[in-house]
Amino acid sequence: MQPYQKEYIANLQYISSLTVRIRPKDQSFDEYYRDMLQNRLEIEKKVKRNMQLLRENLFPVLDQIFETSAEEKDELREFAESLLNVREEIDTGLYCQIYKALLGFSRQMRVRNDAIKALYRLGMGYHSICNKLVSLEYNQVKKYYFQMRLYFTEAAAYLKYYDEIDDAETFGYILRSRANMSLGKFKTVSEKIAMVKRSLMILQDRGYQEKAPDLPWDRFIYMTHQQMAASIAYGKEDAMTPQDVADVMESVYIVYQRRLKEASENNKKLSAKIQLSSFAMEYCCGLHSIEDLLNKMEVLMDSADPSDYSAEGMYEIISLPAFYCQYLNKNPHLISKRTEYIEELYKKILDYIEAFPEASLNESLFLYLRQLSYTFVETEKSISYKDFLQKLQITFTPTIYVHSLAVGFAARSLCGLIVDEEPDFFDDIDFISRIDDISKKKSFILNYALECGILHDVGKINFINLYSNTSRQWFEEEYEMAHLHTMVGKACLEQRNSTACYADIALGHHSWYDGSQGYPDSYNRLDSSFRQMVDVVGLVDWLDNVTETARLYNGLDMTFEEAIQKAVSLEGKRFSPLLTARLRDKNVLGSIKTAFAEGRMQAYKNIYNNNL
Amino acid sequence: MSENKGYLVVEQNKKIIYADSKACELTEMNKSDLRSADPENAVNDLSVEKVKLEAGCELWILKQNNAECEFTSELEQMNERLENALKAAEAANRAKSSFLSNMSHDIRTPMNAIMGMTSIGLSHIDEKARVQDCLLKIKTASTHLMSLVNDVLDMSRIDSGRMTLNEEEFSIADLVHDIAVIMRPQAVLKDQELQIDIGRIYEENLIGDALRLRQILVNIIGNAVKYTPDKGKINVYFAQYLKTGRNRKSENNDKVWLDFICEDNGIGMSREFLKRIFLPFERVNNSTIGKIEGTGLGMSIVKNLVEQMGGTIRVDSEEGKGSKFHVEIPISASLKNDAIPELPVGSNVILVENKNDRVRQISGFLNDAGLKTVIIRNGLDAVTTLTENKYEEKMPCAILLGQEIDDIPVLELASHIRQLAGSDFPIILVSEEDWGQIEYPASRAGIKAFVPCPLFKSRLLKTLSELTKEMQISEKITEDYNNDFSKYRILLVEDVEINQEIVVEMLSVTGVQVEVADNGAKAVEMFKSSDEGYYDLIFMDIQMPIMNGYEATKLIRQLPRSDSSTVWIVAMTANAFVEDIRMSREAGMNEHCSKPVDPERLGEIMRNRLKQHER
Repeated sequence: MQPYQKEYIANLQYISSLTVRIRPKDQSFDEYYRDMLQNRLEIEKKVKRNMQLLRENLFPVLDQIFETSAEEKDELREFAESLLNVREEIDTGLYCQIYKALLGFSRQMRVRNDAIKALYRLGMGYHSICNKLVSLEYNQVKKYYFQMRLYFTEAAAYLKYYDEIDDAETFGYILRSRANMSLGKFKTVSEKIAMVKRSLMILQDRGYQEKAPDLPWDRFIYMTHQQMAASIAYGKEDAMTPQDVADVMESVYIVYQRRLKEASENNKKLSAKIQLSSFAMEYCCGLHSIEDLLNKMEVLMDSADPSDYSAEGMYEIISLPAFYCQYLNKNPHLISKRTEYIEELYKKILDYIEAFPEASLNESLFLYLRQLSYTFVETEKSISYKDFLQKLQITFTPTIYVHSLAVGFAARSLCGLIVDEEPDFFDDIDFISRIDDISKKKSFILNYALECGILHDVGKINFINLYSNTSRQWFEEEYEMAHLHTMVGKACLEQRNSTACYADIALGHHSWYDGSQGYPDSYNRLDSSFRQMVDVVGLVDWLDNVTETARLYNGLDMTFEEAIQKAVSLEGKRFSPLLTARLRDKNVLGSIKTAFAEGRMQAYKNIYNNNL
Repeated sequence: MSENKGYLVVEQNKKIIYADSKACELTEMNKSDLRSADPENAVNDLSVEKVKLEAGCELWILKQNNAECEFTSELEQMNERLENALKAAEAANRAKSSFLSNMSHDIRTPMNAIMGMTSIGLSHIDEKARVQDCLLKIKTASTHLMSLVNDVLDMSRIDSGRMTLNEEEFSIADLVHDIAVIMRPQAVLKDQELQIDIGRIYEENLIGDALRLRQILVNIIGNAVKYTPDKGKINVYFAQYLKTGRNRKSENNDKVWLDFICEDNGIGMSREFLKRIFLPFERVNNSTIGKIEGTGLGMSIVKNLVEQMGGTIRVDSEEGKGSKFHVEIPISASLKNDAIPELPVGSNVILVENKNDRVRQISGFLNDAGLKTVIIRNGLDAVTTLTENKYEEKMPCAILLGQEIDDIPVLELASHIRQLAGSDFPIILVSEEDWGQIEYPASRAGIKAFVPCPLFKSRLLKTLSELTKEMQISEKITEDYNNDFSKYRILLVEDVEINQEIVVEMLSVTGVQVEVADNGAKAVEMFKSSDEGYYDLIFMDIQMPIMNGYEATKLIRQLPRSDSSTVWIVAMTANAFVEDIRMSREAGMNEHCSKPVDPERLGEIMRNRLKQHER
């Protein structure tokens, strides 16, 4: 690798280590706070340096890619692969940029093998992106699945020319692309199963195998069976045809037997993942009841080692409970007699993630946490979803938490001023309009505004690498993807009692007042009874973003006064005139500015004490 | 009226207010005498039949006594006729009263909305979004009100015989497409399936009153949408037939007949209502459609228009099952004939579509034109086939993307095909969508042209011809140096010598004249010292010594000359961060071209810009 590439990666890892919560040992809060501010300056410096490295070194190379030597292109590939690989994912956006340039070159120059490799790599890049979209409906994010599938399909199309391809590595990319065409979500589980079946047929074809005997065919086939077996968790069992069920059963059996054999040879226990596939299949075929399945899962979860931070350990402690809760959500009548169990389960998980070493770059951990959050079961006894989300923010995305609390404080401050003048300002919200006592109403509104601020960005937990571990400004495609945090936020919040009243805030806080711009399209201001609070949070969120939080990834950098001026100039367009009118009052500005500072300070205190 | 009868109208049995000349003859008195005479005395010797009229008047029918028998019989007939006329007048009166009552309700409803929304808007005048919402609702209500008024005016024109038809050339393809664009969104709102099929079309260019024809068809389909419940189905069929085989009147021999059928599975009509459907002011009386607005004039207007055009309209309907309207109208064919489009006969065209009818129709059209259709049912297979075709250097002459592709949204697919197949490859969308709504995303995804559905052969082949010709020209441009860009001048601003060479080399094959500046300051100087309009396009690198691309662009935009604001400036850089794109836009650049520069992308920018220049 080139020195600048190594430096970029080192900077990125350094930034990650700074953004994650540092556990203060003998540090006082003041010392800790000073360190955090120092860290922030360090991060800004590193981000600037990274931008400089890319602008001065990488982009000129991409500029001249038609003139670069084969060796330089190899270095580019090596650089890209260190940004995203099976072990870690540190910069998927840049990885995709590099491979897109390499693909453009290979297509243009008709370098077949390089094109195939780049197509496979881009498919993997998009697969990584798709993994972040766990909580969203298929229809909302299908374009990312299609992107992934299109790259794999194009690479797999070269299968027809396997006689001409004498390079086993390229042939391997073609076959893996073919198998990977079935990765991710599909419109129906049957579609996915049909795709996996076709891949299995190709991989089991003797003709292909004889062509490249050195390829790990057995592994390819086994992994494809794994994909088929995973369909059991992906699909709703009632959507499967009997043939689908039979196909999945076959794969589950093959995977199970192989793992069983491996376990006994190595004198190890059978992994929980495999056992779950088998149990789930038996349940799906009607061999066991849902109660039996849940009981068996409980046995698996109870035997999980809370000090095992390996992939298997993470699966048992976090992912398995996520599947367990998914079954409970589908069968809510079974929740009531398990409330104590669920309470203990979440306690165990929170202790586990609290103690998790070097979590900041562990993409598998985040994937499992997203699953857990998506399937969260809220009971009277267990931790509320609201607190659970805050806990995740504090632990894994402290920068987002600091921003959120600052927004909460500022929203509360602005709401206080509004309600003093117009006590009925938020009366479109049903539960507020029902409070008759004015002082009680005010106090309720202020607390609600604070919590709206805290929870408005919970959707960002799906895009940790973009927001929290950012090491450079975003590319246009990342900017577009980041918009999805609003929909993720809504999807998470609207499902549970303790958070349903914040769902519109998460969805609408980037919308424009006049609807002419902003996102997402699914938020229609006039249809939402929460619109006045959405407007408030949207305004203070924007103020904090352009003055403090977002300059790292979108380059906007204004002083508070400039931001206020800009907000007023967007009156009636982006922001509600009922709010911007108040920004003309210097006292109001002073209060908001103070609230931001207090909110930030309080957030650091909470992180320091690990309190909500 | 019989010559033996005279008529008087007598008021209150006391005063004659009207007398015809026969009455004067029979009574041997003139009109003036009769008006002042006692009625009973005046008719003393005559046989008198009295018929009660309104407002205390009576019609006295006078006859000589010797004609009594004959008179009685005639009187009975007359009475019957009068009674029928009275009934008809009363029915018409009732319909008019009910119309007035409906109309006052129909007019009041949108008026209420207009007034209500106006007050809400006024009371929230500071809330722009709220006011905007009110204005949109006011717009909807006033549009509806306008259609009510138009119906009434049309009916009054028809009643008074003032309705005239225009004779102008029009294309049936345009007409059908317009109707689809108008009706589809309404059907979508009710989640209805609106299927528009085209049968045999003999003449696409016709002469007639397209506006009125559209009014007829929109009215019928509009009713189908209105009176079909949510998720219902409406099938519309357009075709033409010639007189041969049909017993048509001789004066219509030179015409083609438009055959239009609209069938729905909506609420249908009772037999009784069917008899009255074409009478003015009649509406279906059904509790389930109580909220449906309308004047009850639409079908009457439609019938009048159809008949005025020399056509016929029939309707079959069954309550609860649906209705079927069948309209046949003779229309003159235009003498204008479209030239047969030039096509690369024998070439392959890939058709990606999963809808069987559409596949049959399109492949029929393509086969007729001598093209071979490669039918592919899903997006991923299309990518596979194109990858193979490209690898084997056997690219099809175009790809047609239908809208019924199961596995992948058509725009995602188009975008990938554009990357895979190159910038000139014809990608055509064949769709029922309204192009106006999807043009921007579709063009961005790389779709070169759009053929609307319902599909007409002429449109499909013409579009294919244009695009394949364009591709051939473009290939020719790349192959030989003789091209149309030689009259244009480009300023390339780039500091790295090797990059200058590459871009100049790429541009030179198009024949365009390229001048090079190796930094921003030099570029500003060159632009300043050139004549106005000298440069047609500027490719501007961003990072350069002495002066960067942003500054140079800003300075060029500030120059006091007419072309400083219009010259097209393209940022040419690998800096792809959102900030970079924003900064180049803020500096005044029009477009962003990523490095490494792709010759196809350069060509695309030049074609788009310079072609526009020519326009």
